[in-house]
Amino acid sequence: MAARRTRSPARSKATREFVSEVEEILERLRADLADLADQRAGGELEPELANRLFRSAHSLKGLAGMFGFEGMSGLAHHLEDILDGLRMGRLAASAPALDLLEPAVELVASLLERAGSAKAQAGAAEEVARLVERIEAALHAGPAAARVAAPEIDERLLRALTEYEEHRLRESLRRGRWIHLVEASFEILSFEEGLADLTGAAREIGEVISTLPAPGEVPEAQIRFSLLVASDADAQALSTLLDHPTASIRCVHRGASDAPSERLEHSTHAAESAQRGAAERSASARAAGPQPDASESDPEDASVSPALDEPAREPSGELDSLKSISETVRVDIRKLDELMNLVGELVIQRGAIAAIAAQLLAEPASARFGRELGKLHKTLDRKLQELQAGVLEVRMVPLRQVFEKLSRVVRRLRRDSGKDVRLEIRGGDTELDKLIVEELADPLMHVVRNAFDHALEPPAERIAAGKPAEGTIRLEALQRGNHVVIQVADDGRGIDVDAVRSRAVACGLVAPDALLTRKETLDLIFQPGLSTSSEVTETSGRGVGMDVVRENVTALGGLVYLDSTRGAGTTISLTLPITLAIIQALTVGVADQRFAIPLTAVLETLLVGPEAIQRSEGREFLNLRGDALALRRLHAEFGLPAPAADARQAVVVVGLGDARAGLLVDRLEGQQDAVIKPILGPVRSVPGIAGATELGDRGTVLVLDVAALIEDAARRREAA
Amino acid sequence: MSTHAGGAERARQLASAGWQDLARSAARREADAAEAEAQRELLVLWLDGDPYALPVERVREIVRIRAITPVPRVPEAVRGVISLRGEIVQVIDLRRRLRLPPPDAGAGARRARIIVLNSDDGQLTGLLVDRVSEVLRIAEGGLRPPAARESDTVAALAAYGERFVSLFDVERLLDLDG
Repeated sequence: MAARRTRSPARSKATREFVSEVEEILERLRADLADLADQRAGGELEPELANRLFRSAHSLKGLAGMFGFEGMSGLAHHLEDILDGLRMGRLAASAPALDLLEPAVELVASLLERAGSAKAQAGAAEEVARLVERIEAALHAGPAAARVAAPEIDERLLRALTEYEEHRLRESLRRGRWIHLVEASFEILSFEEGLADLTGAAREIGEVISTLPAPGEVPEAQIRFSLLVASDADAQALSTLLDHPTASIRCVHRGASDAPSERLEHSTHAAESAQRGAAERSASARAAGPQPDASESDPEDASVSPALDEPAREPSGELDSLKSISETVRVDIRKLDELMNLVGELVIQRGAIAAIAAQLLAEPASARFGRELGKLHKTLDRKLQELQAGVLEVRMVPLRQVFEKLSRVVRRLRRDSGKDVRLEIRGGDTELDKLIVEELADPLMHVVRNAFDHALEPPAERIAAGKPAEGTIRLEALQRGNHVVIQVADDGRGIDVDAVRSRAVACGLVAPDALLTRKETLDLIFQPGLSTSSEVTETSGRGVGMDVVRENVTALGGLVYLDSTRGAGTTISLTLPITLAIIQALTVGVADQRFAIPLTAVLETLLVGPEAIQRSEGREFLNLRGDALALRRLHAEFGLPAPAADARQAVVVVGLGDARAGLLVDRLEGQQDAVIKPILGPVRSVPGIAGATELGDRGTVLVLDVAALIEDAARRREAA
Repeated sequence: MSTHAGGAERARQLASAGWQDLARSAARREADAAEAEAQRELLVLWLDGDPYALPVERVREIVRIRAITPVPRVPEAVRGVISLRGEIVQVIDLRRRLRLPPPDAGAGARRARIIVLNSDDGQLTGLLVDRVSEVLRIAEGGLRPPAARESDTVAALAAYGERFVSLFDVERLLDLDG
């Protein structure tokens, strides 16, 4: 049951939303900063990128301010300052202030991690103040921007431009683009749509620097706008593209080059459709306002023949970004849970229909209806399976997000410690249930930090051992059937089995004379209170040991394994189910009760007579094709009445990773879809029970926590 | 100002009344509300012939007794779990919780109910009781200390006709380790 109690209800909904929104902004900022770094290296910045970054910083500032996180909001404000300077052209691509963007974003991230604790927030205040000071110093070192020098452009228009628009205008002039003034009238009631169409069309061929209400006489119920458009194309090319009955185009600044011939072909094409569109609309347009007047566009410009190779870049970039926004929907995972519950309930209803169909079929009088219903049931079943797969699919996210977080951690550790460590990442595309991915971040972080701090030796020691000075941590994910295996492997010093053993003896975890295999000794690492490294560094000294890692992973229905070779390195593998939401379950009967066992954990089932069960030191086992399989009697585990001593028993062989166990039950009842649900109430966790599920008319059935049962068995063996 | 004024009448009054009148009537309404706050509503339930009570604000719903699935490895007071519109909820047998004798077989089982409590952290708990009788309204000042000095689960007593009803301390009631 502990397994499903993964979301903390303590945080208020508002805080949760704040955290998730800031996380999303941070994700965007990081991705865009990576692009920025590339573009700075190339020397040419895409204007929309600076805008995007600025908008992200701006939203961050507002959000943090609204929730009273002053440090975060102040930091975001300075981020905004830098980015504003960048998009306004006050800062060059090479400006040193830009180097402070990444540290600022990472500091925001670390503030967010501490969002729950006012004390931790206060502790970070000094860090924030230092960075803010550096940003301010860097910003004030830069040169002031120049005024726009464009004599052809109406002074009144120039005055109406915002600072950013002025910057874009300056930039366009510098690049030798054409500047056009497009004017058009729209019905007041529907101008937003019309204006958006016109703007969109203008962006096909250039950049819309500014949109302003136009002065002058306008017919009633109409509104007139001026668009300042910068483009590599001339007025003619532009006019053929702008599919608006009232649009007029005037060239206010002649570009350095002619429009591309390729563009002309495209334009001709566009012109045809524009004419068609205009014809279709002409009736209403005639009634509404002035007709398009070709003579309004500059005849000189119209006669220039076009020839420029490169179509404008920025606009298409802008369109791409708009598109990606509209195609992604952010959904609260709880809503997906609800959907999943609904699907689960439908699946149960479907089971009831099947039962009715079978009953009808059994009666000769109603057999025909039974057959019909059976057919319907089959179709329903197929569709439901698709629906289920679809909902599950939505919950799946690639592990990349977590891996990226880890690589940032390693980068930071590397910076702080000066240790030379390479992080290799493979299988970031492997997908897991979003909830599992979220819950994995902490345990994985701990494992990686352990590897960094304790497993990897200092360079001198590595060279002496004949290893490369640079240590390697390999992070790999791969899918195996219904499970995902994540491995964290290092090429460090490996675990000293003898040291673990003597520590365990010293802690009283094992008897001094206990016989333990190497594997069993290594397993002691997961015992609470056992830490092999005496030196505790800041990063690993958070009081979270491998026992917590195992606990967290077990709570997700997974298993942790550790393998280590002295001198060669340590590998820790986490085996996790792909989803927690819907499982295939095997239902078994014990005395008068039923339990469900996740089918992903079931390796096989067999029936055995009492003579097949052997005992050694009082523990029961079975010879399974030459291997000893430890047995656990479920009725004894759960305090239920035992069957007759001579009764044949069913054995469900369960396994996760390398571990195996045989569960002795009275009956095998069947296979079923099950939605595992948490058990609500004062008892927070029941050992060996992962949750409960509803099986239609058969009521509520408890779902076994196979991982816990197996671990339990292993612990008992160790303790003995 | 008539309290039976209709909509139009009320509107006319509002239009003509000075703001002082309005303020005065608002103050009166506030005083009424303050008085209401001092009242508590208790759900009265019965166990082994005695009345007990729960604060109404903690009660999400009352359901008829239904199939309870037993759960192993839990304290004895937990009878098992029920499914409540898709949610799986533990049910505590209050007789067992208070170490009262089990009910006579068959007698009055028809009236047994499960009271579902909610809590701030989204947890739900079912309480199995012999029967539920009514909602009792009492003044906050009418509460008396419990009869037993070292009471486990009862927070206070409240007058209930000629007798007393025992008001549960819900947190202590749900603390099964205690």
